[in-house]
Amino acid sequence: MTSAVTIPRHGGTGERTAVAARARQVVKAYGSGETRVVALDRVDVDIARGRFTAIMGPSGSGKSTLMHCLAGLDTVSSGQIFLDETEITKLKDKKLTQLRRDRIGFIFQAFNLLPTLSALENITLPMDIAGRRPDKAWLAQVVETVGLASRLKHRPNQLSGGQQQRVAVARALAARPEIIFGDEPTGNLDSRAGAEVLGFLRRSVDELGQTIVMVTHDPVAASYADRVLYLADGRIVDEMLRPTADAVLDRMKDFDARGRTS
Amino acid sequence: MTVLKTSMRNFFAHKGRMALSAVAVLLSVAFVCGTLVFTDTMNTTFDKLFATTAADVTVSPKAAKVDDTPQNGKPESLPASAVERARQAEGVESAEGVVNSLNVTVVDSDNENMGSSTGAPTIASNWTKNDLRSMEITAGHAPRGPTEVMVDADTADKHHLKMGDELRTIAVTGDFKAKIVGIATFKITNPGAAVVYFDRATAQRELLGAEDRFTQINVTAAAGVSDARLKQNVSTELTGAGAFKVQTQKEFADEGREGVGEFMDVIKYAMLGFAGIAFLVGIFLIINTFSMLVAQRTREIGLMRAIGSSRKQVNRSVLVEALLLGVVGSVLGVAAGVGIAIGLMKLMSMAGMNLSTDDLTVKAATPVIGLVLGIVVTVLAAYLPARRAGKVSPMAALRDAGTPADGKAGWIRGLIGLVLTGAGGAALFTAAGADKASDGASMLGIGVVLSLIGFVIIGPLLAGGVVRVISAVLLRAFGPVGRLAERNALRNPRRTGATGAALMIGLALVACLSVVGSSMVASATEELDRSVGTDFIVQGNQRIVPQAQQAIEDTPGLEHVTSYKMVEAKLTSPDGRTEDSDVTAADPTYASDLRRETVAGDLSAAYGKDAMSVGSDYAEEHGVKVGDTMTVAFKGGRTAKLKVAAVTDDDVAIDKGSRYLSIATMERYVPADKVPPNDIMFATAKDGQEKTAYAALKKSLDAYPQYQVRDQTDYKQELKDQIGQLLNMVYGLLALAIVVAVLGVVNTLALSVVERTREIGLMRAIGLSRRQMRRMIRLESVVIALFGALLGLGLGMGWGATAQKLLALEGLKVLDIPWPTIIAVFVGSAFVGLFAALVPAFRAGRMNVLNAIATE
Repeated sequence: MTSAVTIPRHGGTGERTAVAARARQVVKAYGSGETRVVALDRVDVDIARGRFTAIMGPSGSGKSTLMHCLAGLDTVSSGQIFLDETEITKLKDKKLTQLRRDRIGFIFQAFNLLPTLSALENITLPMDIAGRRPDKAWLAQVVETVGLASRLKHRPNQLSGGQQQRVAVARALAARPEIIFGDEPTGNLDSRAGAEVLGFLRRSVDELGQTIVMVTHDPVAASYADRVLYLADGRIVDEMLRPTADAVLDRMKDFDARGRTS
Repeated sequence: MTVLKTSMRNFFAHKGRMALSAVAVLLSVAFVCGTLVFTDTMNTTFDKLFATTAADVTVSPKAAKVDDTPQNGKPESLPASAVERARQAEGVESAEGVVNSLNVTVVDSDNENMGSSTGAPTIASNWTKNDLRSMEITAGHAPRGPTEVMVDADTADKHHLKMGDELRTIAVTGDFKAKIVGIATFKITNPGAAVVYFDRATAQRELLGAEDRFTQINVTAAAGVSDARLKQNVSTELTGAGAFKVQTQKEFADEGREGVGEFMDVIKYAMLGFAGIAFLVGIFLIINTFSMLVAQRTREIGLMRAIGSSRKQVNRSVLVEALLLGVVGSVLGVAAGVGIAIGLMKLMSMAGMNLSTDDLTVKAATPVIGLVLGIVVTVLAAYLPARRAGKVSPMAALRDAGTPADGKAGWIRGLIGLVLTGAGGAALFTAAGADKASDGASMLGIGVVLSLIGFVIIGPLLAGGVVRVISAVLLRAFGPVGRLAERNALRNPRRTGATGAALMIGLALVACLSVVGSSMVASATEELDRSVGTDFIVQGNQRIVPQAQQAIEDTPGLEHVTSYKMVEAKLTSPDGRTEDSDVTAADPTYASDLRRETVAGDLSAAYGKDAMSVGSDYAEEHGVKVGDTMTVAFKGGRTAKLKVAAVTDDDVAIDKGSRYLSIATMERYVPADKVPPNDIMFATAKDGQEKTAYAALKKSLDAYPQYQVRDQTDYKQELKDQIGQLLNMVYGLLALAIVVAVLGVVNTLALSVVERTREIGLMRAIGLSRRQMRRMIRLESVVIALFGALLGLGLGMGWGATAQKLLALEGLKVLDIPWPTIIAVFVGSAFVGLFAALVPAFRAGRMNVLNAIATE
């Protein structure tokens, strides 16, 4: 069985990377007895700090569930998940909420923004909720990076889909979280807007040293990552480092074919 | 058919979201039906009472009226010879003379009043065969002799009376004592009257002061003789014996019922008025519910339109849902209404008014009215949202969000609202400046209605500004959560406006009435302080009998005592016009007991021989001047020519329009046995003896518990308490409308939470704690509630102030805004907001983050 823990399997870049988050023997099951469905089956995974990790897999493979569990949005049936040295599987809702607020950033597929707040207010919301003052210089840099300086006063419904997702990226970045989770962040965008957003995510890893985990089923999106993890039937079945879109596509075709013949 | 099917599915799919609207319909319908059942039951009770107690034919003196004792305190009577005559008539089985007096007070040995506390009369009479129709003797025997009395079982129970206890009866002819020898139990429901029986001779002597007179004759028909026939025979037989009123059982019962019926109608329409307000508030709730359901289903409706549903079908499907809601709410409401009626009856029983559920009357019209009202109101309220649903374009199926708000409609709406509010304001302004109360009253009504409608219409526009102001003051302290709450309250002004408006209606009425009530107290207090010179006031629900008057006059420590009697008379002014009108006969000391300003003449001169005073309004209308001669025909007495010695200023509330003359003058024209007992008495203590005199007066009146003596402080307090009690009753009835409005706030929040599932999920995901989430919903609720309260209280105080300006013409001179009440209501509204948010906030806090994000 392939384990995602033993990195770098193919030698990697050679530089040592600390682990930002890790999962150990994580099981997520729904129902019980005959109707029991296992979404995650004893998953072990390490997410490297300062890297861009993509999680891929067919529908129902458990990729979203894995991300939700890693991000502390969902509970696990058994196993442990650590964010840095904090075991989040032990935390109660209150601590978990604080952890999400202070240490994690999110970008969802759609509906990332509160319609009643302006772009800027949306960006600073996690810090406002925490009662922290945003770092002015950092905020300016983030806004500059995502290219929203002229649209900060706008409400979400006055922004295009791509702009909205960029605001979401800015929000995730602004609080300087340890890790950002993206759930198909470009799923609703056309290819140009998608490329824009993915470019920002890539740059934030390269230039700002941000750690990002992204669930996607789009080989092109996955090709922006440093590493791709493949999930099938709740297990990590493969991984790929420094992927290209073609390589990812080929690998997926492989799985598809295998899935059909087995 | 398919329309019905989709509507049914939608209705049951959203039954949770419909529940609060159904409760609103239920409450309003229940209140209407409860009122109808309750008043019908009361009427049935009285119908039975009157029908059972009336004899086949009743003969009474011509002038007699049920429940109305002549001013001299003795019931109208007829001679015993008439009974003999009636007995001679053909078809008479028996004829019995009856003595019946309602002008008595019965007390036990501790001087405790045996009468009802609910305003039901105490009835004293002789025990006759006719009484066996409605009563049976359950202990002891009927009274036989001057010292024996029989009492009804309800009264005996209530006051723990036993056989052998002594009762004292206070009649205008004097006090007398008798021992209880029997207890009689009602076979029908007795709503609360205390009844005592004596033997014939005792009743005649003690109640009428005459051995050979009766107040009525009960005639029983022989077998086979109809009441109508008997009536004719008796009338014929009595011709020439005097002026009598001969009535069949039905006629007699109808007359008795008439008075009660009028009273019940007043109660009925007042309560229906409050139900109407609740309905009005419920309309807002229903409109909001359907608007929100339609908004939430925009994509679904768009899909329906895309696959070929016509506008009409969509429109109809919403209306059918409303119909279902109306039917469910109304049916439950009718049932709950019967429950409310029974509850009210129990409540009345606790207050001392016996009503039996055996008499529970649910007329066929009651459920019909309830159902029709509930259903029609619901469907009408849903009409606007239904029309909006019909306008949803097929494109909506493809769009993400709901249809954007129509800016133009808002502008037009604002204009209409402003025009109506302006017109309402102008009407109120006109009312405040009116010269005559009657002209102003209609303007006031128009102003109230227009300004209310205007406020409802511009509510959504005001919501923006008002919510911002409230938030600036209140929510700043809550940081980002406060800001989120503010934005949420502002995001759909129409919804916030309608929700707030529902609360506004109830609170506007509360504010208006509290201003008027408190102005009444303040005005009365001010006038009492200014004009009342006497120390003590004695009055009660019975005219002051001579023996009580004697007791007051004999009280030590008093400087003087003033008698005050209202005397019925016919007044003819020098211009030849005549009107039936009371005059006030008082001792001359009254001029110092109540200081009245005069426009002309000297008030003390009006108490001189054959002199009187008139009020300035009357003087102006009839051109009466000092020195003119008025013709006063005293009822039961002679006609006097009295010289006008003073014209009093009528710009007052106490004794407005009174015409004064001295008792001595009146007694020259009215025979002694027709002189009415005192209505009120005033007493003034000797200097420095106020305290002891007050105690002494109270002691003098111990034996006469039907009268209360009050000094100025207590009198003012009593007045305040009475108005306070009245206001509390009205507030209690308005509570229904406020409850419905609070349901509306709950409803809006609950539906908003459902609508914002994804937002809530998002906020929770990026780190808003449950507590902060709950606080956000609560603050939104508080802001909406305070918005409604601010509008309502502002509007209500405006109405109240206008009403006071108008009523200043009737003596309501002081405007007193009860700030403690107003502020309490405002602060209370914030708590109402918190309360309304309880469940929605809890649900928002508990919402599963993942599900919320995953929701399509």
